[in-house]
Amino acid sequence: MAFVRRFTPLLAKTFLNIPINTQGRRIHRWVSPTLIELKYREKKQGGKVINPRNTFLEWNLEAELYAFGKRLNEEFDSDLLLQAFTDRSYVIKEEMKQKEMEFDLKMKDNRELVKEGEKFMEEYIQLYLEAVLPKFPVEGIVGIKNHLMSESVLANISLHLGTKDIILAAEYPVERQILANTFKALVGALLQSSGDEQSGHFVRDFVITQLQGQDVNDYWHIEDPWTMLTDLMSKTGSELEPRLIGEVGKNTLLACYRVGLYLDKKMLSSGFGETVATAKEMAAREALKKIFATEENMYPINFKLNGIPKSTSDLRYKISAN
Amino acid sequence: MSAAKRVQQWATFARTWHIFDCKWQDPYQSAEVIKKYLMGLHKPIYHSMNDCGDVVVCINSREIALRGNDWRQRAYFHHTGYPGGATWTLAWEVHNKDPTMIIKKAVYKAMRGNLQRRHTMQRLLIYPGEEIPEDIIQNVSNQIRQLRLVPTRLDHISEEEVKKFPKVMDYPQDYVLK
Repeated sequence: MAFVRRFTPLLAKTFLNIPINTQGRRIHRWVSPTLIELKYREKKQGGKVINPRNTFLEWNLEAELYAFGKRLNEEFDSDLLLQAFTDRSYVIKEEMKQKEMEFDLKMKDNRELVKEGEKFMEEYIQLYLEAVLPKFPVEGIVGIKNHLMSESVLANISLHLGTKDIILAAEYPVERQILANTFKALVGALLQSSGDEQSGHFVRDFVITQLQGQDVNDYWHIEDPWTMLTDLMSKTGSELEPRLIGEVGKNTLLACYRVGLYLDKKMLSSGFGETVATAKEMAAREALKKIFATEENMYPINFKLNGIPKSTSDLRYKISAN
Repeated sequence: MSAAKRVQQWATFARTWHIFDCKWQDPYQSAEVIKKYLMGLHKPIYHSMNDCGDVVVCINSREIALRGNDWRQRAYFHHTGYPGGATWTLAWEVHNKDPTMIIKKAVYKAMRGNLQRRHTMQRLLIYPGEEIPEDIIQNVSNQIRQLRLVPTRLDHISEEEVKKFPKVMDYPQDYVLK
């Protein structure tokens, strides 16, 4: 017995190393029908029930709001933060409830904060993009800005900041539009609590960084690149000449052509295509990218600009003005 | 997929047409080179599951050169499947029958026997002479370098040039040439 007692810890240690959840060699025959039956019963009951986290008993909204600010390392005014998370639909729902119970409590929704945040974001993103893409035309910058301010992008950011459960809305799960609006309201709240420089950095760190690994040219569709390029070149007075510099499998379905654009007999860019016309168009696009300094191999966008960049809109090249 | 990425893909997977002159080349050594182009082994994007092989057009297959006495000694085996259906045909016989057969078999043998091999072979075009259909020669955009220099034979050089060529000595007047 003494022997057993003495070596019990050792034995326990050896047992610990043995994996307990050894997976069987096969999936048993009963698994599939059981899962099907469970799914069927769930469907009969009206689909999967998702319980909002904020209806749980130990949910503490105040603590969550405080932690939200601390997680992001931002100083939010607590009242403003609560207001930013209150959607209009929630206020209406609450007012109806209060009418039934016959008492009146004033609640603020986030509409004003949304407006304020949106205005600030639009301005800041515009200025920032102008600073980091100095040669890109205004139309392109607006295209990128519209992409960054789109509902899908903002909703995605908002969701991953963890606003989904904190948002006070009538419906659960919350709509994408409400998620996006909440993010704008958060920026608005931060603007009032910590000032524009701090909120600018917030927008930079969470919204503008969405451009990481993206091709900025995708957000601006150029209808006729060749005309745009010739217009640009006509001012400088240099001669632009497209040359067919490569073709492969001319009589086949997989024909591929390469057109090079020569500016004063020096190669500017080249483009590929299944026809000569497409290749020429692509070459013009490549040339425009080169002029706008947004080529495939461009230096990554600087996400570390501090403060609010100064406006350069007046000096900047505009396509529509020409 | 953006327009730029689409044409990039199109150019990456473009099928190039190569031409190879078989004149005075060893078919078995040439096959190793042709195989690389046919299967796309010369491309950085090569993968065995990737359809990136090129097309090779072989010309002058009638004028290949076999090593040693291969023309007389190399036998091509065929079996009809019936008892007594085995035949051994000598290289010169095969070549007389079909001047494209030896180079075709050489390339076929150079590749590993898998499901892809017959499809890859479809991309090999062989012509016995120098005449190629016009629509095919228009596709060609690259030439594969020959493995050996084609020697110039004395009877192919014009008499004038031979006469002009500097000599070390002249035969005496009364020397009898056989």
